[in-house]
Amino acid sequence: MLSLVQESHRHLKWRALDGLERALMVLCGVAITGFTVSVVCDVVTRTLGRPWLWLQEVTMTFFIYGVFIGTAAATRRNDHLYLAALAESMHGRKRQVFETFNRLVMLAVALSMVWFGYLNFLDGFRSLRMPSMTPLASLYAAIPLCGALVALFVVEQLVNGWKNGFAEPEPREVVP
Amino acid sequence: MTTNGALIFLMAFLFLFLGYLGVPVAFALIAGVLVVTSFTPVGLPSMMTQLFNGIDVEALLAVPFFLLVGELMTAADVTARMIRLSQALIGHVRGGLAQVVTVFSMFFAGVSGSSAADVAVLARSLGPDMKREGYNPAFIAALIASASTMANLIPPSIMAVVYGATGNVSIGGLFLGGVVPGVLVGLGLMIYSHFFGPVGVMRLRSSFGEVSAAARGAAIPLVIPVIIMGGILSGFFTPTEAGVVAVAYILLVAIPLLNRGYLRQLPHDMAMTGLLYSIPLITIAAASAFGWMLAYLRGPAVVSGWISAAAGNDPFMIMLLLVLLFIIVGDFIDAIPAIIIFMPIITELTKSADINPVHMGVVIIVTLAFGLITPPYGIALLMASKFIGVRFGRAMFASFPIYIIFLATIVFCIFFPDVVLWLPKHFLPESVGCFKNPSGSGYICP
Repeated sequence: MLSLVQESHRHLKWRALDGLERALMVLCGVAITGFTVSVVCDVVTRTLGRPWLWLQEVTMTFFIYGVFIGTAAATRRNDHLYLAALAESMHGRKRQVFETFNRLVMLAVALSMVWFGYLNFLDGFRSLRMPSMTPLASLYAAIPLCGALVALFVVEQLVNGWKNGFAEPEPREVVP
Repeated sequence: MTTNGALIFLMAFLFLFLGYLGVPVAFALIAGVLVVTSFTPVGLPSMMTQLFNGIDVEALLAVPFFLLVGELMTAADVTARMIRLSQALIGHVRGGLAQVVTVFSMFFAGVSGSSAADVAVLARSLGPDMKREGYNPAFIAALIASASTMANLIPPSIMAVVYGATGNVSIGGLFLGGVVPGVLVGLGLMIYSHFFGPVGVMRLRSSFGEVSAAARGAAIPLVIPVIIMGGILSGFFTPTEAGVVAVAYILLVAIPLLNRGYLRQLPHDMAMTGLLYSIPLITIAAASAFGWMLAYLRGPAVVSGWISAAAGNDPFMIMLLLVLLFIIVGDFIDAIPAIIIFMPIITELTKSADINPVHMGVVIIVTLAFGLITPPYGIALLMASKFIGVRFGRAMFASFPIYIIFLATIVFCIFFPDVVLWLPKHFLPESVGCFKNPSGSGYICP
């Protein structure tokens, strides 16, 4: 069975959070399966001439939660899109400073997503999704949730990076 | 400099500075937007709404579906059959394996909308054989990266989906419009490999029986482009629905028939694809917040004013200047955020110069596809050089002659709109602004 927890960058991870990464990966799978099935049902019911209008809401819910949950998981796995990995070519103290700065920027963005996302979530109770009349806040909640998870993973990387160094450790020699 | 100009400069500077320092693209974009928003009367919580609005677009659902098609085909090892067909068709020509790379990419582009999947498949499956046959690794990386860009031109293309969804342009029209430049790049690469590439190992010409056996083997995966384009052209499916029908076809027909054992691995790969699609989409969300703030600060009006002042109302000149802008932009940022950030500028110029939106879209997409192999942010070339194991600088040097093919294709697309729009006009006339003839059959096109 292939593992859903990435083993690279292990030195930046706490084993205690592996379960959370696994759960987020499973949710990513559930989200993509969910909106795939709901779009298939949408095509089928429409072809049969009896469309289920609420399916579009279900589809967008899976889709949007999938994006924000995936973003959180990608943070722990260092899988995001990068313009350059300048810090990775550095060593020692210089690298420590750059990696710390980059993660502090990410932490600031994540905390902004939590706080301003929460205010936006409260505002979302004033708008409703059609046809179910569910408050839009049910979708806006994905942003602060994502922010909280990203903040947690960035703190994990910062603490472990300061303790073990940010560079991937050299593989240990095996004594025959 | 006006206050707005200074704020636009600050936002762009923060994004590029943080991005090149190593902050993920989405976070660098959001950081730039949040800092600049705090200097404006716009509330910070409303920028979270912009983040959300960027992805609350039904057409963007096609992105994960086309990614899923590519991933499933690659992971289930179904692509080997398409490689065998390419070898049977073209393996005997001078530069055999180099030609196979191009022909396979044209087939695979019809299945997957992403260059990344194409680079990974080609580098894994044909890279080692090409090295064994004595091809220069830098040439291999340059060719694989260049051929992979066709995934963004030949339908289904993720860039076309994003362009269409954010610019309110017909995605079907963009798909069809991308065929001509896709084929031109493919032919250009084949001609280049034939006359200027290494000779390689010449194989015997495959017999008719061998070609038809290879075609039979590849028939099941090659039905996918027929499903996608057939569904869209017949008006039965939207691009999103065509994507999901292709996924259903692979899961219910292609994999059970061709690689049943793969089904055990399916839950793992669904989770991985779920992660994979979130990465470009969070970048789309961040870029749309960035684009919104840029529009709020009247950036598009300023930039389109500069371009209009330099080019007047000449559509060709406007397109040439936009191409120049996007060649520069594409060298520094990824294609998808570039499309979203600059969409207000493109829309304004398209309207002011009365350019067909599908024509403009095709030109911009070809230019951004070219950006995938140009330094410093030529992501396809970076990936190919990593997989092949050659320094990026050497691969880039080997790519220089290929740049001519792309530049010639871009210039052709600009100056021959009738050729580019021929397919959309014939198969999806409404996508390019044609309307039904009120007094008879057929369409009237502007």
